[in-house]
Amino acid sequence: MSAKPRIGIYGLTSCAGDQLTLLNCEDELLAILDAVDLRSFVMAHSANPEGELDVAFVEGAVTQQSDLDLLTDVRSRAGLVIAIGTCAVWGGLPYLAGKGTAISQHIQVDFSIPGCPIEKSQLLNALSALLHGDLPLELPYPVCLECTIRENNCLLQRGEICCGSLTAGGCGARCPSHGVACMGCRGSALDPNYQSAQQILAKYGYTPEDILQRLALFSGEGFSKEGERVG
Amino acid sequence: MAKIHMDHISRVEGHGALTVELDGNTVRDVKLNYFEGMRGFESLVLGRPYQEIPPIISRICAICSAGHSITAHMSVEKAMGIKVTPQTELLRELAFLGMMVESHSLHVFCLVLPDFFGYAGVADMAAKYEEEIALGLRVKKAGNLVQEAIGGRAIHNVNLTVGGLGKLPTLPQLKELRQELQKSLVEMEAVVDLVAGLTIPEYEGEPILFKAVRPTTDCYGFFGDTVLFSDGQEFPADQYTASFQETESEYSNAKPSTRDGEAFMVGALARINLFGDRLTGKAQEALAKLAIPVPSTNPLYNSVAQVVEIIYALERSIAICDHFLEEGIKPEGPVEYKVQAGTGIVATEVPRGTLYHAFSFDNNGRVTAADVITPTALNQASVEKEIALLAKSQIDIGEEQLKFRFEQLVRAYDPCISCSVHLIRLA
Ligand code: SF4
Ligand code: SF4
Ligand code: SF4
Repeated sequence: MSAKPRIGIYGLTSCAGDQLTLLNCEDELLAILDAVDLRSFVMAHSANPEGELDVAFVEGAVTQQSDLDLLTDVRSRAGLVIAIGTCAVWGGLPYLAGKGTAISQHIQVDFSIPGCPIEKSQLLNALSALLHGDLPLELPYPVCLECTIRENNCLLQRGEICCGSLTAGGCGARCPSHGVACMGCRGSALDPNYQSAQQILAKYGYTPEDILQRLALFSGEGFSKEGERVG
Repeated sequence: MAKIHMDHISRVEGHGALTVELDGNTVRDVKLNYFEGMRGFESLVLGRPYQEIPPIISRICAICSAGHSITAHMSVEKAMGIKVTPQTELLRELAFLGMMVESHSLHVFCLVLPDFFGYAGVADMAAKYEEEIALGLRVKKAGNLVQEAIGGRAIHNVNLTVGGLGKLPTLPQLKELRQELQKSLVEMEAVVDLVAGLTIPEYEGEPILFKAVRPTTDCYGFFGDTVLFSDGQEFPADQYTASFQETESEYSNAKPSTRDGEAFMVGALARINLFGDRLTGKAQEALAKLAIPVPSTNPLYNSVAQVVEIIYALERSIAICDHFLEEGIKPEGPVEYKVQAGTGIVATEVPRGTLYHAFSFDNNGRVTAADVITPTALNQASVEKEIALLAKSQIDIGEEQLKFRFEQLVRAYDPCISCSVHLIRLA
């Protein structure tokens, strides 16, 4: 490995929100740029030497041949490939549109940071782990846990389709903390508690389809018809 | 015949390529190809419930996500005859202004300025101009703080809902925001001096046909009911199909638009050309100092116009904070409403220009038709026209220089290619 890790940042079919999250780290950006050897970041940089990479961050879903070509090329040059954002991790909205697939369907992914967009804190933690030569840690808990810690009133118990118990934590329960039901934008939790969510919502007249339809928005390939995590 | 081809325009949002065909000194053809993948938003929204439309549509683009989200909310509410409170309108405007500051700062400081200083990007430029870049990032951050405070998240807000907001900001929060905004406003003075000292490259252009939403009040602004062209033609926003024509493109995933065959430009420079005389305070002073020639013939001034708009957005945000700090925040939830069938057509001015949202719903509030037209798509014909003018007048500078100038020109429009190709059209 060269003194500074060689980093590439790539966007496939996406809204650029995860790349923008890096650019939104206004307090840390200059230090990050100083700590790494940035070999490619087309969204923000013109001269991109490419070549061999220690870590590649890839945003977006695969929807067209040029996405696949870029992804395969990046994989062949990179030591680690990290999927950033729910589109890259689960297929996200492009999957629901019937056009996109998660990048793990095409190449081996070494680590995934979900979120639509990813959280700054998780990105910064991942970067600092990588700078120390470690892999980042996956968060094992669902949104519900973060929501309970914040002592929010539970929206599910009031009959709203809140996906918090099924969704990977890490956002600090942003939506329920604003009184808005979780839409599951971070994709499937490690161990989604579908049965219990379904039982509660059944009391309010919702069918399993209603819940699965809401989950389908972002989770792409992440849930089976039985509400179990896939992949 | 010589062909100049650039297969990936850098420092723009999304994927775009440019091909210019030259025959001696004549420009034969200019093709701007936005090849970003189609994410198929049309099949996504059809049949989905109305509450999901703003968060889905927000994902068309991260940089102006608040613009998409707010415009979509306005469209849903117009369709169902929902009238939000003045407080909600002001808070939404505040989030919108935060987006303006964030989006324009990203473009001016991170994507455009490096060109003028001879660098490939902020990373290189920061080595020698660390303070300038750091300043730009601080202003950008102020925009994001506003978006976080009102929207609950800087990108793809979670707090704006149909009829109002999930959670209201507190007065201490607004007080703190105001302080940050004020700091940025002061810092922008140095930016105006810096930009006033830059030489904007010229070429033999022609008067540009501009288009922008006419602000509802006599003030500068980004919301209104009609859309004005710089030759005086004006159309109600909901008659947009009569005001320009979209064409299918054989080579691009976006559909370029013209008005009866004539290209037009939207964005900050269009707004300054049409309504810049309404600016007051520091924005007015900045406009005078930056000496943007009006009527403009050179799109490169768009980035300069963005500097003026950053200052406008900061001043207006401070005024809104002051309003609430004086009057207080009413503890109101979203307004009550009845879900009903209807169509809502809304035009707003997002950072890159006019954005149209048109959504139709059935009695259950499910989407039956959708149309989204983005500024980058509207601008495509104008970019191609200006590239041809630039090539014609600068043909002698050599291929490498020409490529640089082409890229600089495309970048001045601040294209958001993710936006442009995600056209949604359902009959
Ligand atoms: S995951 Fe969300 S933020 Fe990231 S590219 Fe996809 S839509 Fe954008
Ligand atoms: S279901 Fe939703 S509101 Fe209830 S605890 Fe979980 S995340 Fe919070
Ligand atoms: S609460 Fe749910 S929808 Fe909201 S940000 Fe967190 S994961 Fe996404």
